[in-house]
Amino acid sequence: MTFNPLDQRGIPLDRQLRNWRELNVKPIDPDHGDPYTRCRIITMNGIEVESILFSHQLARNTVDPEVKRQLAEVRYIEHQQQKAVNWLLPGVSSVLETTIAYEQVAVDLTAWVARMEPDPYLKQAYQFGVLEDFDHLYRYANLYEMIEHRKAESIVEGLTEVMPGRPTKFHHRHPTDNVRDPYDTMRTDPLSKLHALTIMSAEQQTMNFYMNVGPQYMEPIARQLYQEIGLIEEEHVTHYESLVDPGETWWEQLVSHEYNECYLYYSFMEQESDPKVKAIWELHLNQELEHLHIACDLMRRHDGRDPGSVLAPQLPDVLTFEPNKGYLRELLDTQIDLTTLGAGYVQEAHERFERMQEQIHGGEEPPSERVMAEHDEMFGREYRIETEGEHPDPALREK
Amino acid sequence: MSELHTPQAGEDAALDDDVVALLMRQHGDIRNLFDEVEAGSGDERQEAFRRLVRLLAVHETAEEEVVHPFVRRNVTAGDDIVDERLREERSAKETLSALDGMDTKDPKFMPQLLALRTEVQEHARAEERYEFIHIRRSADTSTLASLAKGIKAAEAMAPTHPHPGVESAAANVALGPVAALMDRTRDAVRKAMGLD
Repeated sequence: MTFNPLDQRGIPLDRQLRNWRELNVKPIDPDHGDPYTRCRIITMNGIEVESILFSHQLARNTVDPEVKRQLAEVRYIEHQQQKAVNWLLPGVSSVLETTIAYEQVAVDLTAWVARMEPDPYLKQAYQFGVLEDFDHLYRYANLYEMIEHRKAESIVEGLTEVMPGRPTKFHHRHPTDNVRDPYDTMRTDPLSKLHALTIMSAEQQTMNFYMNVGPQYMEPIARQLYQEIGLIEEEHVTHYESLVDPGETWWEQLVSHEYNECYLYYSFMEQESDPKVKAIWELHLNQELEHLHIACDLMRRHDGRDPGSVLAPQLPDVLTFEPNKGYLRELLDTQIDLTTLGAGYVQEAHERFERMQEQIHGGEEPPSERVMAEHDEMFGREYRIETEGEHPDPALREK
Repeated sequence: MSELHTPQAGEDAALDDDVVALLMRQHGDIRNLFDEVEAGSGDERQEAFRRLVRLLAVHETAEEEVVHPFVRRNVTAGDDIVDERLREERSAKETLSALDGMDTKDPKFMPQLLALRTEVQEHARAEERYEFIHIRRSADTSTLASLAKGIKAAEAMAPTHPHPGVESAAANVALGPVAALMDRTRDAVRKAMGLD
């Protein structure tokens, strides 16, 4: 069966408001749930946060008060969705625990998108980025064992491996080398637009999360590691947002946002193992269908174009959370030593990269290296989960 | 790949000069033991459960002797903070005593254990967020270190590894030995803190 959101009607907007009782969702179990349920929650929170921030920016660039009111009405519901989704996370989880789940999202979401992306230039962008998220997971996992004596395994549960990726210290590139070339909105596959929006939103949420929770830690190494990785999230948001064609109108972008929310809620509804969470994905899909129709009306009115002309004729195959171990090992084997130069990728450390490295590290080991040294002092080993054998890169095997 | 073992607090090479960092790691150790009890079966589960009960007893006793008194004395509204934590502790102890002495093969065991796990986890996070935060704010480094010394003395009372032969499964986890363990822990802590 094919699902075309443009043909479906959802819940009328004036019946979407939830009261406190309905918003008071029961959080997932921190110790016994499906790790990918938590990944889907974190992803959808990032998507809702982006939809809210985008709508605010649009409203600030809108003159017509009637349109501002329309945006405010939909945005309030999007905000209720964000509350219902993110409040599924349990209060007993620590910040680091949630951080490791964020990195599991970054790894398995980006790897899946890289596998499915039809455009080779965009695919390369995801392949490049995922090896960095992969390394962040490894650094945070070592910090987690130091501070809480817990293994990242209790969070990722064998679905995602934990071992070095492209070493975090090499992620600090000159900012101009983080800007990619955009896709061409007239020619690109509609799926590519959804991918770019999804990964950009997820990385943006990670950036927001680290910039706010990092200083809650008192341990110097934790504070510093959040600073370092937080700055790399800035690079990642720059990297992914520059893939999006800036020639898209505001209304076209609004339609894309709403369409992508339909796509993701539909995808997650199809694969959700937790029935209570599944019910939320289903409800939100039915709300989003209506938001999509409202966005389409705005686009028709303001751009004089048919939204169908920029959207896929039907929903692409569902976006899926699943292990990507073999794929990641292939990338570790072939792309670990890449960096960026301008909008492209190179293997050698060029002059601008080296200058940036010198300046930011100031002749010292960065927090991402010191966390490993401190972990080693405490345990006499590293923390890794290598379920599929030793690291593909001999230089990155544990000594 | 061989399964990595995370040593318990006091057995790693941490300096243990900060009572809060030490207790947070011990909270992780307790959570790890819950995992072990859940994952094990038969005698293995029984034995892991015994270690969990001992660690809980020692950990809570040490907090009662070292952490709570400090907060009562040095933190504004410290009495209220501690009373709230003690209320949580009492509730968890009631759930624990319902479990204590129960055969781990009993079908009622797992639901009770999960209820205990929830209570213990909520209590631990409440301590970290509403009590420990005040300790770090109001204690200097030497106080943090001397409080840590008291906790370390208590830890020595909770064997962290299985001792096959010494305590057979038949010896079971009875309330008596646990209560005695709490007494011994209390004495050890007081001695270490120079309160005797």
